[in-house]
Amino acid sequence: MAFEYAPLIALFPLASFVIALAFGKYLPKGGALVGMIATAGSLLLSIWATIRVAGGEIYNETLYTWVAGVGDGAITLTFGILLDPLSTMMLIIVSLIAFLVHMFSMGYMNDDGQTGLPRYYAGLGLFTFSMLSFVLADNLLMAFMFFELVGLCSFLLIGFWFREDAPPSGAKKAFLVTRFGDYFFLIGTVGILATFGTAQFAGEGSFPQLAQEAIVGGETMFGFPAETWVTILGLLVLGGVIGKSAQFPLHTWLPDAMEGPTPVSALIHAATMVAAGVFLVARMFGFYALSPTALGIIAFTGGFTALFAATMGVVKDDIKQVLAYSTISQYGYMMLGLGVAGYVAATFHLMTHAFFKALLFLGAGAVIIAMHHEQNMWNMGGLKDKMPVTYWTFLAGSLALAGILPFSGFWSKDEILYDALIVGLNEPIILAAYAMGLLAVFFTGFYTFRMVLLTFHGEPRSDHAEHPVPLGWNMKIPLVVLGILATVAGFINMVPVAEITGADIEFLGSWLDSGPEETAYTTYTAIAAEFAGFEAAELSPLLPAVVALAIALAGAGAAVFLYRGPEPEEHTNKLGGAKDVLVANYYQDEYQVWLAEGLTQRTARAADTFDQGVVDGVVNGAGSVSLFGSGRIRRLQTGVVTNYAALITISLVVLLVAFGIYGGWF
Amino acid sequence: MLIESLIAVTLVAALVVFLTPEAYAPQVAFALSLLPLAGSLFLWTGFDASGNALLEGSTVAFESQAQWIALEPYAINWHVGLDGVSFPLLVLTTVLVPLAIMSAWTPIQERISQFYGLILFMEASLIGVFTALDFFVWFVFWEAVLIPMYLLIGVWGGPRRKYAAIKFFVYTNVASLVMFIGFIALVFGLGDSVASFGMPEITQALHAGELGGFAGVGPDTLALAAFIAIFFGFAVKVPIFPVHTWLPDAHVEAPTPVSVLLAGVLLKMGTYALLRFNFTMLYDVAIALAVPIAALGVISVIYGAMLALAQQDLKRIVAYSSISSMGYVILGLVAFTVYGIGGATFQMVAHGLISGLMFMAVGVIYNATHTRMVGDISGIADRMPITVGILIAAAFGYMGLPLMAGFAGEFLIFLGAFQSTVLPGAPIFTAVAMFGIVIVAGYLLFAMQRTLFGEFRLETDYDVTRAPLHDVVPLFVLIGLIILLGVDPDIFFTMIQDAVDPVVELGGGA
Amino acid sequence: MLDLMPTQLLVPVEWYLVLSAGVFCIGLFGVLTRKNALMFLISVELMLNAANINFVAFSLLWGNLTGQTFALFVMALAAAEVAVGIGIILVLYRNFRGVDVTEATTMRW
Repeated sequence: MAFEYAPLIALFPLASFVIALAFGKYLPKGGALVGMIATAGSLLLSIWATIRVAGGEIYNETLYTWVAGVGDGAITLTFGILLDPLSTMMLIIVSLIAFLVHMFSMGYMNDDGQTGLPRYYAGLGLFTFSMLSFVLADNLLMAFMFFELVGLCSFLLIGFWFREDAPPSGAKKAFLVTRFGDYFFLIGTVGILATFGTAQFAGEGSFPQLAQEAIVGGETMFGFPAETWVTILGLLVLGGVIGKSAQFPLHTWLPDAMEGPTPVSALIHAATMVAAGVFLVARMFGFYALSPTALGIIAFTGGFTALFAATMGVVKDDIKQVLAYSTISQYGYMMLGLGVAGYVAATFHLMTHAFFKALLFLGAGAVIIAMHHEQNMWNMGGLKDKMPVTYWTFLAGSLALAGILPFSGFWSKDEILYDALIVGLNEPIILAAYAMGLLAVFFTGFYTFRMVLLTFHGEPRSDHAEHPVPLGWNMKIPLVVLGILATVAGFINMVPVAEITGADIEFLGSWLDSGPEETAYTTYTAIAAEFAGFEAAELSPLLPAVVALAIALAGAGAAVFLYRGPEPEEHTNKLGGAKDVLVANYYQDEYQVWLAEGLTQRTARAADTFDQGVVDGVVNGAGSVSLFGSGRIRRLQTGVVTNYAALITISLVVLLVAFGIYGGWF
Repeated sequence: MLIESLIAVTLVAALVVFLTPEAYAPQVAFALSLLPLAGSLFLWTGFDASGNALLEGSTVAFESQAQWIALEPYAINWHVGLDGVSFPLLVLTTVLVPLAIMSAWTPIQERISQFYGLILFMEASLIGVFTALDFFVWFVFWEAVLIPMYLLIGVWGGPRRKYAAIKFFVYTNVASLVMFIGFIALVFGLGDSVASFGMPEITQALHAGELGGFAGVGPDTLALAAFIAIFFGFAVKVPIFPVHTWLPDAHVEAPTPVSVLLAGVLLKMGTYALLRFNFTMLYDVAIALAVPIAALGVISVIYGAMLALAQQDLKRIVAYSSISSMGYVILGLVAFTVYGIGGATFQMVAHGLISGLMFMAVGVIYNATHTRMVGDISGIADRMPITVGILIAAAFGYMGLPLMAGFAGEFLIFLGAFQSTVLPGAPIFTAVAMFGIVIVAGYLLFAMQRTLFGEFRLETDYDVTRAPLHDVVPLFVLIGLIILLGVDPDIFFTMIQDAVDPVVELGGGA
Repeated sequence: MLDLMPTQLLVPVEWYLVLSAGVFCIGLFGVLTRKNALMFLISVELMLNAANINFVAFSLLWGNLTGQTFALFVMALAAAEVAVGIGIILVLYRNFRGVDVTEATTMRW
């Protein structure tokens, strides 16, 4: 039995979408159980597929022809499945978190007495379907299509509480901002199809391969040398990545997306949908590795976003907002990792982040439920003893996020920084990106522990904090599962330890190297070295790891020092004007809203005035001129018979004279 | 004789409905409108066309030809047939009409029999437009569409219906006249080389280089002048910037079912005719003028979308966005690639379904709230969840959400346009036109956020209730068809490619 | 059948034409200057009979009966016209309290 059942990984959640939408009203738990069964099925099939892949099999098959090209040289557009180490790893992450989020939702939504549950679970099902299909995609067009569907689901789920004002607005913003990125992605997809005639990620004649051959052959494409054209295409696709993975400057939608139910935030805006962007870069890394410019931009954007978002996280009072900015920041790290050809490191962080960020969001969700939908951390405090399970798991996630030994986040983040450093020693731009990433570690530690202390430590600062709502098993189990994963997931690729002991324990590295040669990470590294000229300097991973850990501890320590005690004060107020800038998110929203509403609406109104006045004015003008002219001419019709008779006579005479002259009588 | 039977059955149905008592007219009209639908689906089973009906070496499905008027030296023949370009549009017409009739059950409450009779009469004319292969026959049907449309807007329309109806009629009729003059000049220029007004004969004579001078004008100038005159005639119908201003007025005043047909089918007459006349018969002029035509298309996309952004009336928003969507079609046609022209043809069908659905869904909300102004309502999703759900789906379809028909059309157009070899700077044109997908998302999302979501509020006295079943059924059918075509575009796209490929070869593209 | 050959008229045909033109001009003058509808009718009769004179004169000149036939037709037409005209004048009188044609201008623009 080979991989015939692979499509079911995606189709199970699709079925749950259809069932929840059509019959959710009549089902127990509003469709939650169906969703859980479906995602559990996907999870099992994903694990099974992983086992097959581990056995050395690769599945790369075209399964469905979407548009068949007729005639010579016509491009056939297809759907297919590519199962290799990268995609199976991602499948497990997505389906596992989707399963846990379904379970958690029963506590968060059902037990809370929310309405519209079938719609909610249908949305989750559709989202899981889209995301899994995106991961399974064997070509860029299919990836783009499901990328867009993921955007739709995010719109539907962020705007779940549509009766209020803020959620629909956040949903709109999320879709619009990511759409703006997808615009470039679409051009890139069309361009890649038009250039190479294929959008296959892997296999014989895949587009990264063709691009490589074109560069080697020194071809000219669309009037550009192949390197330039590949860079242009890569940057266009990157537009979609920046939108979905919330990188600067298209990160503004993600904090607003927190208006959705918290399990949705965990699933979509932390662990999976936002990961789609980074996953896409990893998926077509063979293409990006050909362009040093594209890699440099990815790295710099990533490093900058990591720092930029981390500073904003420092001053937020809403627990979900802190997590939102940390998400942006962490995806910046992944981009940094990819930009320095640290393929394994970025993928590693993608995985650990998925676990610990889902954990943190679900933990925050548990707190929010316990606090009767209160999200301001200043109204919490002292929850440590009343919610022990939540506290300890949340703490594990926080330690991972802050990057503290031995939690998972430490290992993956450290590896990214190490990869950035060794490339950066030869490339000044990359070194700048590394420096920003390193500085962000301090802020990460600081805001993470500020959040933990304000939420769980000290004295309760409100009635709800005194008497939190008890949580059910359905919320605790996901927390525990993810807590364990957030703690131990880092052990699969301990680079510094491997370096010291010399033991072969870089399991993730060898896993990602196990597939076919063209998508193996060592191939990518070689391509990056050859085409992008990325030379790794010789450097032990030990010292950079110690530095990063020290900085993280410094950040965490500073937070503990400032916010410890029963009644902590808001120390960020001392920042003065700088705090205003941070709270206002560097005025990024303002100018983007101005672009979208102020400028565009004004242009639109001007266009409307022009259309009504000038374009339609000409049309109506033609009508008016006709009316005016005929109004004059009809005056001939006096109604007096004598005038008509006179006119007839005069006409007769004129006609006779005319005939006379013409006929030569005179 | 099958096509003749189809037209005749539709005409008889129109007549029967005219004479039906008002009480039964809606149901009778719906039942009778299923006959042409069944007919066109039956035709599908025997559809065996290959190639393009206007060009040599093609097989035209259900072709039938008979002498009609022997007018020396040009005979006017009855000549009808179908190929891969016209057949999807025929299906679109026959599918949309029954749905439009059902959607009229609620809003149309006076002169009921006449209303449905006119709709069916229009359907017969539309079938004629899409099947005729003789210029005169085609022109008779082309003009015959205007009459019922004029009456449908002018009698059953909104407060400014007279203005809108007259504007529609005069504008499109003047355009037809210009087009007619251009075409006749072309035929006179061909002189003795053609003996009839048959479109295939004229096309093949033109391609054989038989065009001579006429009235002291050389063949090249004549071809250019005729092309511009014909292009103008169809551009009004499509409509393309800057001759689009009749459309919003007509849509706003027309009752819902009429808007559905206007946006769904009537606009496609223009693009269909552009493909047949300008881009097939006079393809060489079209290629010479590729840059200005593509520029008009791109301007229509961006300008139409910007105008939609400024509107407050939901119907006006959809009307302007139709201009935007039709701009894509122009861009696809001028690309002269299989995916460009084929995608444009597919987009005609896709846009017909999606814009029809949008108008229907807005109409259902209007039936319940009696307002379409964005500022007057909010939170409708609370009261009409199913309708709003479908409206959201339709809006996303309009934005080009994958796995829905609109995406297939737009993506194919973009891909085809990007590859174009006849259009200089094709990637730039394509990239600029693509920005339309961002603006369309902008205005639809803004409008949806303000009308559908938020707290329920309505500034009129109507009590909003759930829509009756017969309002909602057409919505379900359409959304189903849109998803079906989005998941499997090859339902139509294979035959479209087959019919478009010879045209592309004329232009030297791949 | 009558044996009608072209004959030498006692009075030259030009004189008939002058007479006819004179009668026609009198009629035309009446139509252009009078306001009374009845006078209109009489003037129109004059114009028709001017045409009749021509018909009959040329009929005699060419020696065939076509002109005379037409003259008979015109007479019949004149009779019919008077019948309709008088009817119109009666209605005119009823609606406008008079037969002055310059008063009845409701059909203007």
